[in-house]
Amino acid sequence: MIANILDGIVLGLQFGLLATGLTLVYGLGGVLNLAYGQMAVTSAMMVAFAMDAGIPALPAVGIGLLAGGLLGLFLDQTILRPVYRLHDEPRVLLSLLLTLGVSFIVDGFLIWRYPLKALTLHIGGGAVEILGVPMRRGSLVASAITLITFVALFLFFQRTTLGRAVRSVIEDEEGARLVGIYPDRMLRLILVLSGVLAALVAITRSMVTPVNTTSGLSITVFALIVTVVGGLGNVAGALLAGIILGIVSVVAADLIGSYISLIILLGAAAVTILIRPAGLLGVKE
Amino acid sequence: MSKRLTGATGTSLIGGTEARSSRSLPVLLIPIGVVGAALAPVPLWIGDSRVLMGVAVLGLAFACYAIGFNVIFGSTGQLFLCVGALAGIGGYGAAILADTVGLPITASILVATLAATFTGGLLSFIAVRRSLGVIFTGIVTLIFTLSFDALLLGLSDLTGGDTGRLIDSGAGTFLRDQIPPYYLMLALVLVFLLIHGLLRRSHIGWAFRALRDDEVAAELAGIDVARYRVYGALIGAAMLGLAGSTYAFTEGRLSPTTYGFGQVDVVVLVMLAFGGIGTLFGPIVGAVTFTIVDEILIEFGQLRQVAYGILIIVLFLRMPRGVIPTVASLWRRVRGLEGSEDSETTDSATGNLEVVSAESHSAE
Repeated sequence: MIANILDGIVLGLQFGLLATGLTLVYGLGGVLNLAYGQMAVTSAMMVAFAMDAGIPALPAVGIGLLAGGLLGLFLDQTILRPVYRLHDEPRVLLSLLLTLGVSFIVDGFLIWRYPLKALTLHIGGGAVEILGVPMRRGSLVASAITLITFVALFLFFQRTTLGRAVRSVIEDEEGARLVGIYPDRMLRLILVLSGVLAALVAITRSMVTPVNTTSGLSITVFALIVTVVGGLGNVAGALLAGIILGIVSVVAADLIGSYISLIILLGAAAVTILIRPAGLLGVKE
Repeated sequence: MSKRLTGATGTSLIGGTEARSSRSLPVLLIPIGVVGAALAPVPLWIGDSRVLMGVAVLGLAFACYAIGFNVIFGSTGQLFLCVGALAGIGGYGAAILADTVGLPITASILVATLAATFTGGLLSFIAVRRSLGVIFTGIVTLIFTLSFDALLLGLSDLTGGDTGRLIDSGAGTFLRDQIPPYYLMLALVLVFLLIHGLLRRSHIGWAFRALRDDEVAAELAGIDVARYRVYGALIGAAMLGLAGSTYAFTEGRLSPTTYGFGQVDVVVLVMLAFGGIGTLFGPIVGAVTFTIVDEILIEFGQLRQVAYGILIIVLFLRMPRGVIPTVASLWRRVRGLEGSEDSETTDSATGNLEVVSAESHSAE
């Protein structure tokens, strides 16, 4: 049981990080980015190509993160321009449809050109015992990176002026504008951050399972579900929802079996959405 | 406030030309007849090729799906991302009932269609009860689609899992011939068009239009918005289930991709966006165009997806109301019949997204 819960936490941290990049952009800009998984996959492929070219793993990962950030910037500067002119629900709908188009373009190209390409990062060394449970070193490194990222994100949002500025825009865009914050600059920053997070998700995931060119859609879908369960625009909610869903998923898989566990996971998500439409930690407007 | 925004969505993305609809029955029957007459001779030139006839039958099935989705999303603004799953309940349900349980084909189609109808109605009922907005309805129905996929893979005794299953019932009958399935599906398309057309002329159609344009105003005018949303979902889901199960018997084999999210829902959305969401004939225009283009581009394989991605982006930026309303407003302008009321449609036709934005502002 302890093994299950630890595995669940490992998976849950991944889920949480996955949702964070999506939830921030939604909370700040009302933009639902369905090309999120494709951003992650593209960055992972950049890492894979860099390593094929003989670049050592660490700089290659750096290239991947940079690629993710640039993709976010690119989306902000091109396809999302017309989206920003709309407001509220039309903005969400248009952003959703346009980024769906982007995800098609990226997926179509990647699967056509590199159908079998996959990124796997091998973390050397044997299993490590935690609470008497042997854990794979890859999962531990991935979880450690994820945890550090979360701590860094919380510090950024709580302690730095820039982080507070971003939060002020999430809370009240008009008010933020009145005290001299440019919401569009904050949005650009968050889109870049979201791209970097997407890249980080793909990279840490590749330490546990291979990331293929076809992984994009499932990454987006899971990110979306965790985001909604945690509450749109809520980073702490995303982390909590990720860990809960991760544990539910692993425990159900162990007790019942694979496909029903997925249904239980989805059912848990659906029930949460129906009972608390604002999300686990969301505040009802 | 948030309810009011749903109304704004309706005006900016879901549009139709039906505002003036003091139409008499012949005005409805003639265009449906034209569609039938235009599509009926297709087997004359591609009837020799089993492959092309298969493509044509699938295209008509997609036209049916698009009409069903149009009734749900276009008429009542519920973003159902489970078109494939509802059709799959029909298809897999009918196949299992006919082969494993041993019901006659018509009875199994009927029961499976009822199951799909009930499921669609239940999803809508839940969404309405919890007053989920467009996005949340989309996500809950997407979760339903994923669960359905997991179930298909899990219950491999019945569904054949990843590889799919063959359907024994109906083998050797006209359902598996080369030409008759085409006319069967075409009949379904025409019946669905007629039902949707009559629906729009009935009091239900008026209620749909009212709740789509402004939910709060519709409620105030005494329209039971919740009830009409569920009606829309029931009718649309019945169409999806019937088309899905009928297609299953003409095809003779099923796999998860037959009703997959990427293979059905996304395609239907593209078709409808192209033809015009909320219009009567948009689904047909979209399905026929998409099927032909897809067949022409087939040698490009996966690259087709890139083309569709570009198409989606261009469509929603340049013609957010789809081809039919755009062409219709151009036509009115050419004929000099453009009134002040039509100007907004004309503007969106010229691709001025600012206008759409201004509209949604004014709706706030």
